[in-house]
Amino acid sequence: MSFDQVNSQPRETGALRLTPAVAIPSDALDVAVLNAFEELQSDDGSDLVIELIDLYLQDAPQQILAIGKASGSAEWAQLKRAAHNLKGSSSTLGVRQVAEICEKLEAANCLDPSDGVEALIQLLDYEFAKARQALAAERQRRLDESDHR
Amino acid sequence: MRVIIAEDDAVSRRILETLLCKWGYEVTTTQDGEAAWNALQEPGAPSVAILDIMMPRMDGLELCRRLRQLPGSIPPYIILLTAIHGVSEVVKGIEAGADDYLTKPYDREELRVRVQVGARIVALQTKLAEQVQQLESALGHVNQLQGILPICSYCKKIRNDSNFWQNVESYVTDHSHAEFSHGICPMCYETTVKPQLESLLIARSVEPTQQSKPIDFQSE
Repeated sequence: MSFDQVNSQPRETGALRLTPAVAIPSDALDVAVLNAFEELQSDDGSDLVIELIDLYLQDAPQQILAIGKASGSAEWAQLKRAAHNLKGSSSTLGVRQVAEICEKLEAANCLDPSDGVEALIQLLDYEFAKARQALAAERQRRLDESDHR
Repeated sequence: MRVIIAEDDAVSRRILETLLCKWGYEVTTTQDGEAAWNALQEPGAPSVAILDIMMPRMDGLELCRRLRQLPGSIPPYIILLTAIHGVSEVVKGIEAGADDYLTKPYDREELRVRVQVGARIVALQTKLAEQVQQLESALGHVNQLQGILPICSYCKKIRNDSNFWQNVESYVTDHSHAEFSHGICPMCYETTVKPQLESLLIARSVEPTQQSKPIDFQSE
């Protein structure tokens, strides 16, 4: 199922209506949240923000994979745990859409198919891909900036 | 002061570590409750623990319960730092043994002052423990003088723990922080010193040419 298919699904999903334009803000990354970590930069020349982006990009795909696996094997506690973890790091770094989807996954009643867990997981893939691009761009911008200094 | 972080999310863990180092703490990081449990049982373990609740192997609540059951000296000051909101969750956390509960996303300044409170309480507990130890040690000295002391009915020497007869003055000096100054009580002056002086004066009046000698009370 593609992102467009997910969006065009006619069925009602209760509180989990899958229309990103309405339910979820459009920006993949809130750079202001990342910038707030500037004040924690150390004097040794290392860039904490780049380090955090790297950690996130290392960890998030594993959590998304765990969510997909748990959904496939109906291990809902594991799904919720992975969603909870991803929600935490995503909101910390301003990856808001991913965080919101994870919050919905965490709150979803997994035994009720109308909760649209599968659709949420696909949406998560899509939003994470956008966030990854935005984070990679921000990472590169910071690297270029430090090269110019 | 040492602080331990137990947090399975790498991003949150790194941010916490950076913040705490910036605030001057010596930081140990762990990725799950079990690793934190092991680290907190070692000698010289961190005094403040910042714990996530949802962690693999051992969750934060179980870790709190175990830490509260640890025998021995001063328990760590525990702050639960979690994305789990709600009054009932806070109650659960505090009942499990946490001293404080803070929810994510947290305000850095709020975290800073809460850790500061923890450090202050731990410092106070350490100081109190030291004072209790000093009091117990002093009480030990007092107890030795409060016990039954075998004393000679004639010479008033005391039999010490090594079975030697020791005069009262040296015994008390050895078993307490007391020091002696030396004087003569009115009764001893009347019954001992005065008669000795008088006999000396009489002796001098009988032998006026004899040279005066220093008075030696102990030889009398």
